[in-house]
Amino acid sequence: MPPVSRLASWSRELLARWSDSTGISPSDRVETLGAEQRFIVEIVKALASEPQVLVLDEPTEHLAAEDVERLFRRVREVTARGAAVVYISHRIREVQTIADRLTVLRDGQGQGTYPARGLSEDEIIHLIVGMDLEEEFPPKCTEFGPEVLRLEGLGGSGFSDVSLGLRRGEILGVGGISDNGQQDFVRALAGLGRVSSGRALIGGKPADLGSPITAMRAGLSYLPGDRHREGIFAELSLRENFASRSPLKDRIAGFASRSSETRRTAEAIRAYAVKTPGTETPIGSLSGGNQQKLVLASVVATGPKVLVIDEPTQGVDVGARAEIYRILRDLASRGTAIIVLSSDAAEIAGLCDRVVVFSRGQLVSELAGEEVTENGITGAALRSTAVRDGAEKGTAGFWKWAAGDLAPIVMVGLAIFALGAYVSAANGYYLTGRNIGGMLVLISTLALVAYGQQALMLVGGIDLSVGPLMGLVQVVASFFILDGATGGLMALGGAAMLAAALGVGFLNWCLVVPLRLHPMVATLATYMGVQAVSLILRPAPGGMINGDLLSLAGTRIGFVPVMFLVAAAIAVALEWMLYRHGLGLAFRALGSKPEVARMAGLPPARLRLFAYLGCSVLTLIAGVAMMEQVGIGDPRAGLNYTLASIAAVVIGGGSLFGGRGSFVGALFGAAFIVQINTATNFLGLNAAWQSYLLGGMIILAVAVYSKSRQKVVAA
Amino acid sequence: MKAQTFAAAAPQSPVFRLRLPGEFGWIWIATAALFAISAIVAPGTVRPASLSAMLPFAAMLAIVAAGQTIVIQQRGLDLSCAAMMSLGGVVVAKLGFAADSMLLAVAGTVAVAALCGSLNGLLVARLNIMPIVATLAMNAVLLGAVNMLSRGTPLAVPDALESFSHRDVLGVPWTLVLSLGFLLSIAVISARTLIGRRFVAVGANPRAARAAGMPVLAYQVGTYGAAAVCFAVAGMLYAGFIGSASQNAGTDFLLPGIAAVVVGGTPFSGGRGSVIASGVAAVFMTQLGILVMALGAGSAVQLLIQALVIIAATAVRELPGILRRKA
Repeated sequence: MPPVSRLASWSRELLARWSDSTGISPSDRVETLGAEQRFIVEIVKALASEPQVLVLDEPTEHLAAEDVERLFRRVREVTARGAAVVYISHRIREVQTIADRLTVLRDGQGQGTYPARGLSEDEIIHLIVGMDLEEEFPPKCTEFGPEVLRLEGLGGSGFSDVSLGLRRGEILGVGGISDNGQQDFVRALAGLGRVSSGRALIGGKPADLGSPITAMRAGLSYLPGDRHREGIFAELSLRENFASRSPLKDRIAGFASRSSETRRTAEAIRAYAVKTPGTETPIGSLSGGNQQKLVLASVVATGPKVLVIDEPTQGVDVGARAEIYRILRDLASRGTAIIVLSSDAAEIAGLCDRVVVFSRGQLVSELAGEEVTENGITGAALRSTAVRDGAEKGTAGFWKWAAGDLAPIVMVGLAIFALGAYVSAANGYYLTGRNIGGMLVLISTLALVAYGQQALMLVGGIDLSVGPLMGLVQVVASFFILDGATGGLMALGGAAMLAAALGVGFLNWCLVVPLRLHPMVATLATYMGVQAVSLILRPAPGGMINGDLLSLAGTRIGFVPVMFLVAAAIAVALEWMLYRHGLGLAFRALGSKPEVARMAGLPPARLRLFAYLGCSVLTLIAGVAMMEQVGIGDPRAGLNYTLASIAAVVIGGGSLFGGRGSFVGALFGAAFIVQINTATNFLGLNAAWQSYLLGGMIILAVAVYSKSRQKVVAA
Repeated sequence: MKAQTFAAAAPQSPVFRLRLPGEFGWIWIATAALFAISAIVAPGTVRPASLSAMLPFAAMLAIVAAGQTIVIQQRGLDLSCAAMMSLGGVVVAKLGFAADSMLLAVAGTVAVAALCGSLNGLLVARLNIMPIVATLAMNAVLLGAVNMLSRGTPLAVPDALESFSHRDVLGVPWTLVLSLGFLLSIAVISARTLIGRRFVAVGANPRAARAAGMPVLAYQVGTYGAAAVCFAVAGMLYAGFIGSASQNAGTDFLLPGIAAVVVGGTPFSGGRGSVIASGVAAVFMTQLGILVMALGAGSAVQLLIQALVIIAATAVRELPGILRRKA
C-alpha cells in the first residue's frame, strides 16, 4: 500500500484497471454507492493486496453479467501469478466455469473433491442435496383464476409507467439487470417506496400503497429481499417472528395468546419443514434457508391475495431452495397471485408462468409460455440495456454540501461569529481582551476533553467517565503538587496523575472489549467508580495547588492563553492524523464497519485500546487546563464536562454511530457552547435562556447533519 | 428431510443440566440474598419502620426505571429524565395552586410530560438524531422551562399532593402501591397484548417491523411519551414527598434509574426487556445503599459499590457467552 497521501490516485488506478466505466471516484463515501458498485470496490480491494491465497465468498451475488466476466478475468490473472483462489458460491455454473477442482459441503461435511470438468451439473446437485432432485422446479400451471391485481401506469421513484395484470394462481417473475428499477418497483408495491403516478387495483378496488400497513390491508404482503435487515427479528424467537405479521389471529379476549402463537408456529414449522430445536429458539441462530422458510410462512399467514417476494432464495442452500419453489407453486395452486423478483434469470425461468423484464425503470418486455427461458430473459434484459442509465438522481446542492466534512465547521463558525457580533454590539465589554481571554481558557478546557470523546466516538465508543476523571486528576494533583513541594514530589504527582488517567482508560477498555459490556453501561459504572474514589480521597474540596505552576499554566501571549494555542495545535495535529496517517484511517474504518475492518486486517481490540487510552490522556490534559480555573482539589469540578463534551462533539459534526468526526469540529463545538454561555450572561438573559439556546442549537445542528447525510445516502 | 424437523429438538441430557436463571431471573435471587444478608449483618435495616422509610424511594426509582426501560428497549436512552422529573414537580405545584384541583393539576402535568416526551420521540425517530443527543438537548430546554417557571427557587406544593405522597394503605405506602400498579400494567401490556408484541418487534428491528406492516413511528414516539409520563409521575410523587418542587429534583434519579435498568438485566441491544426486573432492581439498589450506610460507610463508598454492582450484574449475564466462545 502506498503512503496515505497518495491513496486517492492509487485507488483510481486500481478501479480503472477493473473497468473504465465504474462511475466510482475515490473520494465517494461507500455508503452513497449502489450495491453493485460496493461489491466492485470490495473485490478491487481484495485483489489490490496481491494475496497468496484469495478467498471469495459469493462474490457475484450483486454483479451484472459483464462484471462477472471481469471478475473471472481478474481471478485468472491472480492464478496465473501463482496464487491460489478459493471460490465459494452456490451458483453451480459459475463454479464450473472458473474452478479447476471443486469441493462440495453438505450440512458441514465434505462430500469429496473432484476435477471441475469431470462433473455434470446434475452430479453436482446430487452431491449438494444428497439425493436426486428429479426436478428442481415444480411443474408450471396453465389454468389461472380471475384477475386479482391490475396496475395502471404505476410510476414512482426509480420506475415509471408500469401497467400489468395478474391472475389468481399465477406466478409472475420480475427480471432484468440489477438496479434497473425492478427493486424500486416491488418495494413500491409493498408500500416501502414512493408511488407518484398511476394506480393499483386489488380485487377491483383501488389499493393504497402509501405504507406496508395499507398495502397489507388491501391484501398485498411482501417478503423482503434483505432478510437480515428487513426480514427477521434476529434476537426474537421463532414464535415471535412468525406471529409478528398476523398478530390478530392470536388475539383472545383482547390479549395476545401465547399458546395460540406457539400452536400456529409449530404448525408452520411442520408444514414448511423448518429445522429448529423448537419454537422458542432465536431465529438468528438458524441457517439462512430455515430463516427464509419461517419468514415466508409468516408472510403467508397474513393470508394475502397478492404475495410479493424479493429474492426468494438469496443465501439459501440448494435443498431448501427446491422446497421454497415447491411451497410457492403450492400456494399459487391454492389461488394466491405471486410476484417474484430475482437477479437469477434461471430461477425466474424455472419458477414463473410469466415474466416481465425491466430496463432503466421501465417495463420493456413481457414473456409468457414457451418464451420463459433463461436465455429469453437475459436476452431481453441485455438487448434493451445496451446503454446504462447515466443520469443519477440528483441531490440538492445545499444538502450535498451539508453532508460534507467541512460544513459543520463553516456553519458553527458562522453561528459563533454572528452571535459574537450581536453581543458585542449590545455590550462593549464583550470584545475586550480580558473577556475573550477568559472565554478562550474555558474553550480550551472543554475542547481538550471533547477531543478525547471524539477519538472514542470515531471507533463507535463513548466515555461518560471523562467528567469524574477530570476531577480525579485534580484531586490527585492536590496531594502532590502543592505550594512548597519539592521537584521530586511534583514529578511523583505528575506520574500519579498519568497513572490514574491511564488506569481509568484501561479499565474502560477492559469492561468494553474483553468483558463486552455496552460502552454506555461500562463507562456509567466507571463514572460512578471514579467519582467515588475522588470523594473518598477528598470528601470536601481542599489542597491548594502550587501557585507557580498554576500561573505557568495560565501564561498568556497578549490576551491569548497559551493553553488555547496548545489546544488548537492538538486539534490540528489530530485532524492531520485522522486523514493523513494510517492510525486515523484505521480508526475511521473500525468505527464505520467493525466487521469489515477486522477482515481488512486491522486489530480491533488494540485500536480500541489506543482510543480509550488516548481519550483518558486528553482528559488528563483537560484536567490540567481546568486546574488553573479551580486551583484546588475539588472532586466535583469536572462533572459537567461529561455531557458538555458530548454536546461539543455532536455540534462539531461528529457522529455517535462512529466512523466520522472531526477534532477541529470539536474545537468549534466547544467554542460554540462557551459562546452561548457567555452571550446569555452579557445580554442579561436569565439562566433559562442559556438552556433554551444550548438545547435548541444542539437539535438544530444535529438535525441538519443527519438530514443531509440521509439525503445523500438515499440518492 | 421432514423427519429431521423436530428430531433435532431433543437436548442431549435434559435431566442433569444445570439450569441457570434467565437474564431477568438473577435480580430476584440477588434481591432475596441482599435482604437475607441485611437481616444478618444489619437487622435494623429490615425492621418495618426502616422498610417503610426505604420503600417510597425505591418505588419512585422503580417508576423512573420503568420509563427508562421501555426507552432502552427501543434502543434509546432518555437523558431528559432529570429535567422531566423536575418539570413534573414544578408544573403540578403551579397548576395545583392555579386550578385548585389536584386531579386537574395531575392530568395537566401528565399531558405536558407526554407532549415533551413525544417531542423527544419525534427528534429521534423522525429527524434521526441519536437518542442521547436528542434527549440531552431536550433536557437543557426543559431545565430552562423549569427555571423560568420556578424562578430558580424551590416551590411549595399543595397540601393535597403532600398528604397523598405520605398516605398508606394498610401500612403499605401509597407510592409503593402506585408504582406496583404502574409496573404491572406496563408489564401486562408488553407481555400480553398486541401493542406489547409490536413494541418488542419495533425495538428489536425497526426496519423489519416496518416491512411487516407495523406503525413504527407511532411506537417510537409513543415510547418516549410514555417514558416521560413515568418520569413526571415520579417527579410529582417526589415533590409531594419532600414537600417542595425544585429545579434539581431529578438529578439524583437519572443515573440510579439507568443503573437499575442495567442491573435488572434489560440489554441495550433493543427489543427484549423487563420493567418488573428493573423495578426489583430499584428496590435492590435502594436497599443496598441503606445497608452500606448502616454499616457505617459514606456516600462515596456507596457510589463505589453501585459501580461494582453494575459491572457484576452485566458481567454475570455475559460470562456464559464469553466462556462458551473461549471453549
